[in-house]
Amino acid sequence: MGMLPLQISAKSIGGGVRGETKRRWAMVADIETCTDCMKELKKKTGNEEVKPPCVIACDRENNVPDFEEKEIDPQWMRIARFKNKFGDEFYVPLLCNHCENPPCAQVCLTQATFKRSDGIVIVDMHRCIGCRYCMIACPYGSRSYNFKDQVEGLEEVNPKVVMRTKGVVEKCTFCVHRIDEAIANGKEPEPACVEACRIYEKRSLVFGNINDPNSEISRILRESVVIQLRPHLGTDPHVYYLPKR
Amino acid sequence: MAESLEPKKIEFSKINGSSLGYFALVGIFAFLTALGIVAYALDRMYHLSGLSNTVPWGVVNAGIPYFIGLSAGSLIVSALAGVFKIKRFKVFSRIAAFFAAAYIVAAISSIVFDIGKLDHFANAVVYFNSSSIFSWNTLFYSSYFVICALYLLVQFEEMERLTRFFACLAVFWAVLVHSGTGAIYSFIYSRELYHSALTPPMFIVCATTSGLGLLIAKLYFTFKFTRRDLEVRLLRELGLIFAGLTAVLGYMLAVEGLEKGYIPAVAPATQFVYFNPYHGIFWSFWLLVIFGIIIPFLIVVYPRTGFDPRFLSLAGVLHAAMVMAERFFLIVPGQVYPSEYLPGYEGESLHTLEGYIVSYTPTIFEWIQLVGLLSGVFLAFVVAAKLLPIIPKKAVVEE
Repeated sequence: MGMLPLQISAKSIGGGVRGETKRRWAMVADIETCTDCMKELKKKTGNEEVKPPCVIACDRENNVPDFEEKEIDPQWMRIARFKNKFGDEFYVPLLCNHCENPPCAQVCLTQATFKRSDGIVIVDMHRCIGCRYCMIACPYGSRSYNFKDQVEGLEEVNPKVVMRTKGVVEKCTFCVHRIDEAIANGKEPEPACVEACRIYEKRSLVFGNINDPNSEISRILRESVVIQLRPHLGTDPHVYYLPKR
Repeated sequence: MAESLEPKKIEFSKINGSSLGYFALVGIFAFLTALGIVAYALDRMYHLSGLSNTVPWGVVNAGIPYFIGLSAGSLIVSALAGVFKIKRFKVFSRIAAFFAAAYIVAAISSIVFDIGKLDHFANAVVYFNSSSIFSWNTLFYSSYFVICALYLLVQFEEMERLTRFFACLAVFWAVLVHSGTGAIYSFIYSRELYHSALTPPMFIVCATTSGLGLLIAKLYFTFKFTRRDLEVRLLRELGLIFAGLTAVLGYMLAVEGLEKGYIPAVAPATQFVYFNPYHGIFWSFWLLVIFGIIIPFLIVVYPRTGFDPRFLSLAGVLHAAMVMAERFFLIVPGQVYPSEYLPGYEGESLHTLEGYIVSYTPTIFEWIQLVGLLSGVFLAFVVAAKLLPIIPKKAVVEE
């Protein structure tokens, strides 16, 4: 296996990528549109466990394998159904929260999991020893261990994303490769799930730089009441949820 | 009273090790150790464990605190002679110190068996993470082994002052190692069933009881098979320390359970853990309480059994075996019971098992790995007894 690009190598800890401190990436998911999308898809397919376009796009973009055994099937993005005691039911996407204080990076034996200066938390699989301590520490179940070789569960491979191996832990990167490519070309980055949601005309997911006061995500966070998952833990997740109105 | 129990002179000697029984023992332990390595290799290749993305830590991981516990318990017995100047326990100090060093190797081997990328293992040293408790523990474990080895060496050289120094250092390090190991699990604040300040001290107690319990049995069988004299009163004294600490362990477990059950948010999880007989977790806890604490305690304090080395050994082995259930109970429930992502809402993932109570049943391949590691320790001891003077010629108290 060759060297990792500096942006996704743990060797960049501390140094960061030049200019990246200007940015802090985050995502907002609108629970109402997400719920509408899921209900629509379920009605259309009759499948209770249907994967919406955002999840399919994530899987394809990031070479996330698909294994029949749910117990060991890695998932970077998944949909969860929530309900309260009054019977209200809604759907939300779950993914890595790219926390400001990531417990996974705190516990990692080898600093294989690290937070970049732009807030993205990623795993350097060349350094990961597969101890799975990060999976135990993650409050959001966002990490998967490769019990099998990734290739066994892939129909096609996206060459733009570095392949992982058996025996390491992986998770959502906010499509870091897209972000770095877009920044290098002076464009606005868009993770695969956000793009799929937009193409599917739902626009439930909004991604952007919260350090830019003029970004759409900054405007939403400024003007709305948003929810974070398990905020009392102090991890400061950077995936926000817009509640049902 | 204590003075009357002091042995006059302790002579250590190697065993002959030429009998058929000896070679049979070596053969059995070597076979089981090799079997453990084969089970590990097969598990790596074909994923034969019961682990999943919901339960990524199982019994092989539980082997880490288990073996470290046995090591610390053994060491504390060894150090009783040096630290507290209890000379009558000096007869056991070499055996116990040897086991302490061997178990720490088994604990490190458990980590080796458990991680997914053995070829990356050196990264744990090269890229030390000061905020990771596990990272600190890798330092503690390796330095602890060195201390145990040096402690054993100065005993062989009969360097009294250095022996005492290393005994004190080793006990301090054992406490550090064990608190650190407990903290690996109990500092996890994202899982309510893990998070507890009581776990590190409970680890130390449990380490001592399991190490001591198994040591009683090992001493009994070692002296029996080498046909050397062993004074029952010495075992009885170890048994009393063992029983007292077992009661302390029971008390700590009760406090822990009651405190968790008192929190309404955690009460459903604690009810599931303690009162749901349809899940293995319930059994791991109650087997520990009944066969690991109550019965061994009664065996030791009941006069008709408490002076019989066979029953004392039984109590020790029962407890040491059930401490594996305690480690299981510490590690598995926090993974099996789902976390609440959004307070007040029940959540279920459509594409993973998050939100569901999942099951984890260790497979035979996982158990064989543990048996292999334990056999490796016994194999090392049996071989060392032939090569090194670690067993006293006799362990009797002169009246």
